[in-house]
Amino acid sequence: MTTTLSLEAEVAKLIVEALHLETAPEEIDPAAPLFGEGLGLDSIDALEIALAVSKRYGFQLRSDDERNHRIFASLRALAAHIEKNRTG
Amino acid sequence: MLPLTSRGPEEVIFHRGPVPVTVRQFLAEVAALAARLPDEGPVLNFCADRYLALLSFAAALSRGHVTLLSADRTPLRLADIARLHGARYALSDTEVALPLPVLAPGAGAGAAAPNPAIPAAMVAAIAFTSGSTGEPRPHAKPWGALVAGARAAAERFAVTPGTSIVGTVPAQHMYGFETTLLLPLQGAGAGHAGAVFYPSDVAEALAAVPAPRLLVTTPLQLRALLGSGIALPAVSAIISATAPLADSLAAQAEAAFGAPVLEIYGATEAGSVASRRTLDGDAWSPYPGVAFAIGDNRAEVTVPGLPAPVPLSDVLEPAGGDRFRLVGRQGDMVKLAGKRASLAGLGKILSDVEGVREALFLAPEDLDHNPRARLAAFVVAPGMSAASVVAALRGRVEPAFLPRPVVMLDELPRDEVGKVRHKALAGLAWRRS
Repeated sequence: MTTTLSLEAEVAKLIVEALHLETAPEEIDPAAPLFGEGLGLDSIDALEIALAVSKRYGFQLRSDDERNHRIFASLRALAAHIEKNRTG
Repeated sequence: MLPLTSRGPEEVIFHRGPVPVTVRQFLAEVAALAARLPDEGPVLNFCADRYLALLSFAAALSRGHVTLLSADRTPLRLADIARLHGARYALSDTEVALPLPVLAPGAGAGAAAPNPAIPAAMVAAIAFTSGSTGEPRPHAKPWGALVAGARAAAERFAVTPGTSIVGTVPAQHMYGFETTLLLPLQGAGAGHAGAVFYPSDVAEALAAVPAPRLLVTTPLQLRALLGSGIALPAVSAIISATAPLADSLAAQAEAAFGAPVLEIYGATEAGSVASRRTLDGDAWSPYPGVAFAIGDNRAEVTVPGLPAPVPLSDVLEPAGGDRFRLVGRQGDMVKLAGKRASLAGLGKILSDVEGVREALFLAPEDLDHNPRARLAAFVVAPGMSAASVVAALRGRVEPAFLPRPVVMLDELPRDEVGKVRHKALAGLAWRRS
């Protein structure tokens, strides 16, 4: 559980830095949607996050779907996906 | 009258899964879908699967229904367009709760079906741009204009019947609609149906279709592809549009992928109207049949099939013969992620937020060359934070136009005559870079 929590914080920081957001990492609600009405990210950001994730955690995000919706559903979902797939 | 498709019955029009779809099968599926559509359009088409998007468009067209194209799939935007343009039903492969019937365009083939003839003057589709206050503005596309555009593109890019076309742009964005749906329908080549967005998607999609392969993408995605260092199967050409491509990016892409990088110039109002190979220089060549009229501060383009010349939001200058150069943007129009807005319009929306006393949007100098560039906002709003300003803008402007950074000020810097000093503001926003 502690691992997940700290990875969440780490990914929040990664997102804020990669995207130059006005939000502080700790202000991102881990359960709120990252796109649209939540944090308000868009497709430019999705590509930036994918790039930052591949560099930091050593795997590529894919959009076969469905699953992609779930991965970007929230900070928590993204962190969980990274936890499962990271090679670095 | 122009036929629904110019392709021969045995030609492959799309790759969807392992079995290629021939024109014969496509026409049978079009007829089967057309038979179960409601009596009246317009129809809102927001299929994610490119083949289903084409099938839906073709079936609606054969029934005389106008297709409303929205690249933005947020329920709010879709409902807006449906309401403002009287959509009677929607065709989609994704579930969205809308106040109208949403049908799934199942690809079940019926008996062999004819190639229907469509009146050239019929409005086949309506594409949308954002107005200055965010409301969708319609741009009608007669069938004849769409056909002429697709044939011109096939000729310009020498697309062969067997070329596989992999696109990363939504099928309902005008550029994506023309290059990934209409090109196979009325020009040449076979589309790729699946979702392609991230660098690894591009590699997988290209690997899944036969050579020669044409990649249709944007500067932003080209940059991500190069940044990811991913290896791609051989491509015969890369086409980029939605924003000017920097020479350095084009050079890197040509070196990395061993193919020419070509660009399309166009606008939702006019469609694709010119092209260039980025590394050959900054002059654009009009598509066959397209004519530009370039004035001092105003340019318009005459497009085959469109009833009147279309004013452009870019400033152009002649470059010898019928070629032209892009000099800059008209007035305060900016373009991000393939969407346009006026800085003054955005500033007005922000100024109308409760608690905001004064506000202004500025674009960074590298806006036209940096795919990641964002707008900055300067806000006088005692008691509000930058985050609360962004929160208030959400839902009022497209996410691409949400400002970064937001600079909170006690007052806007002004010169002796009271004009806001833009240079000073730019210094505040972008001193870091």
